[in-house]
Amino acid sequence: MENAKILVVDDDREIAVAIERLLMLEGFEVVKAFNGLEALDALCTDGISLIILDVMMPKLDGLSTTLRIREKKNIPIIILSAKSEDSDKILGLSMGADDYVTKPFNPQELVARAKSQLRRYMHLGVMGSSPHSTQIKSGGLCLDKSSKLLTVDGEAVKLTAKEYGILELLMENAGTVFPAEKIYESVWQEPAYSVENTVMVHIRRIREKIEINPKEPKYLKVVWGIGYKIEKL
Amino acid sequence: MATKLKSFSRSKTAKISAFLVVMLCLSLSVVLAQYGMYKDLNPETLLAKEYRQSSTFNQDEVYSAFMEAEAIIVRGEAPQESLPYYYYISDGSRTYSNAGDAGKAFFEKYDKAFYSFENGVWSVGTNTYAGSGSYYGFGSSSYTAYIAFPDEYLAVQQAQWQSERDQTVPVAAGIAASLVLALAMIIFSVSVTGRMPGDEELHPGKADRIYSDLLLCSFIPLGLIWLSGLGITGNFDRYQTAGEIGSGQVLSMLWAGSLTALVTFACGIVLLALARKIKGKVFIKHSLVYAASDRTFDFFKSLFDGRRFKKYPLTKSLFYRQLVFIAASLILVSMTLAFFPAIVLEAVVIYWYIQGNNRTFEEINRGFSESLEEQMKSERMKIALVTNVSHDLKTPLTSIISYVDLLSKEEGLSETARDYVRILAEKSNRLKNIVSDLFDLAKSTSGDISLELESLDIKKLIEQTLGDMEDEIEKSDLQVVAKLPEHPVVIMSDGKKLYRVFQNVLDNALKYSLKGTRIFVELTEDSGKVTASVKNIAGYEMDFSADEVLQRFSRGDKSRTTEGSGLGLSIAESFTNVCGGDFNVDIEGDMFKVAVIF
Repeated sequence: MENAKILVVDDDREIAVAIERLLMLEGFEVVKAFNGLEALDALCTDGISLIILDVMMPKLDGLSTTLRIREKKNIPIIILSAKSEDSDKILGLSMGADDYVTKPFNPQELVARAKSQLRRYMHLGVMGSSPHSTQIKSGGLCLDKSSKLLTVDGEAVKLTAKEYGILELLMENAGTVFPAEKIYESVWQEPAYSVENTVMVHIRRIREKIEINPKEPKYLKVVWGIGYKIEKL
Repeated sequence: MATKLKSFSRSKTAKISAFLVVMLCLSLSVVLAQYGMYKDLNPETLLAKEYRQSSTFNQDEVYSAFMEAEAIIVRGEAPQESLPYYYYISDGSRTYSNAGDAGKAFFEKYDKAFYSFENGVWSVGTNTYAGSGSYYGFGSSSYTAYIAFPDEYLAVQQAQWQSERDQTVPVAAGIAASLVLALAMIIFSVSVTGRMPGDEELHPGKADRIYSDLLLCSFIPLGLIWLSGLGITGNFDRYQTAGEIGSGQVLSMLWAGSLTALVTFACGIVLLALARKIKGKVFIKHSLVYAASDRTFDFFKSLFDGRRFKKYPLTKSLFYRQLVFIAASLILVSMTLAFFPAIVLEAVVIYWYIQGNNRTFEEINRGFSESLEEQMKSERMKIALVTNVSHDLKTPLTSIISYVDLLSKEEGLSETARDYVRILAEKSNRLKNIVSDLFDLAKSTSGDISLELESLDIKKLIEQTLGDMEDEIEKSDLQVVAKLPEHPVVIMSDGKKLYRVFQNVLDNALKYSLKGTRIFVELTEDSGKVTASVKNIAGYEMDFSADEVLQRFSRGDKSRTTEGSGLGLSIAESFTNVCGGDFNVDIEGDMFKVAVIF
């Protein structure tokens, strides 16, 4: 993963330079481009393994660039945008981006997300093609039922028994919303009575372990007033 | 060729020439008629070729002959002078004649001009022109009368008739030709007036500005001027000697001719103006009668349909209209008692009144939708502004945060510098939160926000929020007491927004509560009304009202802190409203209470 080449595209040069420095401090090699067309050019020549792409750019905007890249390549793309609406995020992800970070971003979070995407692309991309029957996957999450081991983007995460139980339940039924009572009865094997808080605290703990930004979870989501679910990715 | 002809016929030259020809021809015909009069020309010479067939002969000679015959018998004495004809008159006892004792046979010889009255029956000679068949009403039908004109006399008269005819014909022909030409030119002028070469437009003249009926009436004074002007010619005729043309007559003819030319000129202008108005279809509309009646009609109508009171404000104008309407209706209804058809007027007045009302309503509606439109436009502009401003704020903020982060990773910074960087990081982070909150608030208050409504358990949502915020609660040195019902409380709402609401309200409570006190979270359901409330004891004196706390931007420094954006409650209120709920803030002494009601 070290020395991986990352393409940073932003029409604001200072931001592009800042991201370059941030990534270089982490030991990455960085190529810069200042609009969509330059990004496509840079992509042709170099062996790039991640793209960080601004949306609002002259000549060719980020979303169109994403579409053009996806015609040929499978390189992970992190979209960087000042637009923070849910609809904008959904649009960006449906264009083929792998992650969506809103400006102004937390530098540590951006680096973490970049690393996560790189890990998945470079390590899991190869071996992840044939998952074992005992493995459950959702995006970068991988739960091995035989070894009771959870990996996030290839990195092992330590879980308590209850946390593991909750994750197994939700991951096996990815996309389905479970109310706290069901989760409790299934994991604790006890009748549920006033358990919302207990379950919620566990959910928060799990999020802190598996999410890069627990405030904006990617995998484990709270469906407010209803229950919890693992996003089907 | 056709266009050339058209453009020539519409040219000024053609029009002026035609006009002059009309003036000339009409004057000429008047002068010729006058000339004929002075020459004592008998117009009948044109009609009758034979003198004895003319009514001149029948009236002047035959009629007078019988009249004379009766006079003779009444007088009982034959005339002294010789007569140019033979007569015989008898009343049975007395007989007078200038043909000696000749009987009827003598008279019958002159069969070209023989007239008899016997036994009350009129008869004429075999070759005599019968005329009207009866010539004179004799006093008594017992008269017998014969009149005969000798052929020689007739021949002389015929020769004279013929010579007069020879003089009359050219004069009459001249008059006829002039009139025909004038008529043709009038028709031509009327047809081309108002047209110009090169286009098909109707060009009104200056005289068109005069009302049609005034124009039409002007023919009367013009005609009177003409006639009285011609009457003056009598002054010149004083010196007339029959059949002779003297200087007086020449002057008279010059006067009549120029007068006619002048009157023709004036009449021509009037006629052409009328023609243009008819062509332009404004003949009726642009008349004094029409204009006056239209004004009057409009005045009365405007009293009822509101235009008269337009200058007053709406309510006042409505009041005046009603007043006028009621007064007019009262008068008309009482009139109807005497004269039933007045009800028609009342109906018209009612119609106008309703019409006026409808117009007023339309105006109100228009004004209403205009202001609505205006409001929506300004809302849209606000949204666009918020979007743009937030982008413009976020971009430099991104740089600031990134470079502050880079700076903090720089080695060899002094301890003081490191402190400064830490403050920079903190403040830029706060700025980030404020911008984000501001954006959320602006979007939700302008209504440009997408809702995902679903039925959810608000009790569960509160529990989840509390669980989510457990860390903050534990850190806060405060205790949260939740009094929630046992059963689920299901409402239709947007879960994410509602979570933001409770999160912000609890955040606020955690931030401003007095240390060591309790925060009470309650959920009650009462006859379909769900109320979630959060109560806490403020850690400082709240010298602001419940309204002020929600009035974002305008509340001054009263509840500002160094933490957060200060917009938390405003966002909570706005999001609650967007989800269809009510957001109430209550301040009682040190107790601060927020209620979210669905």
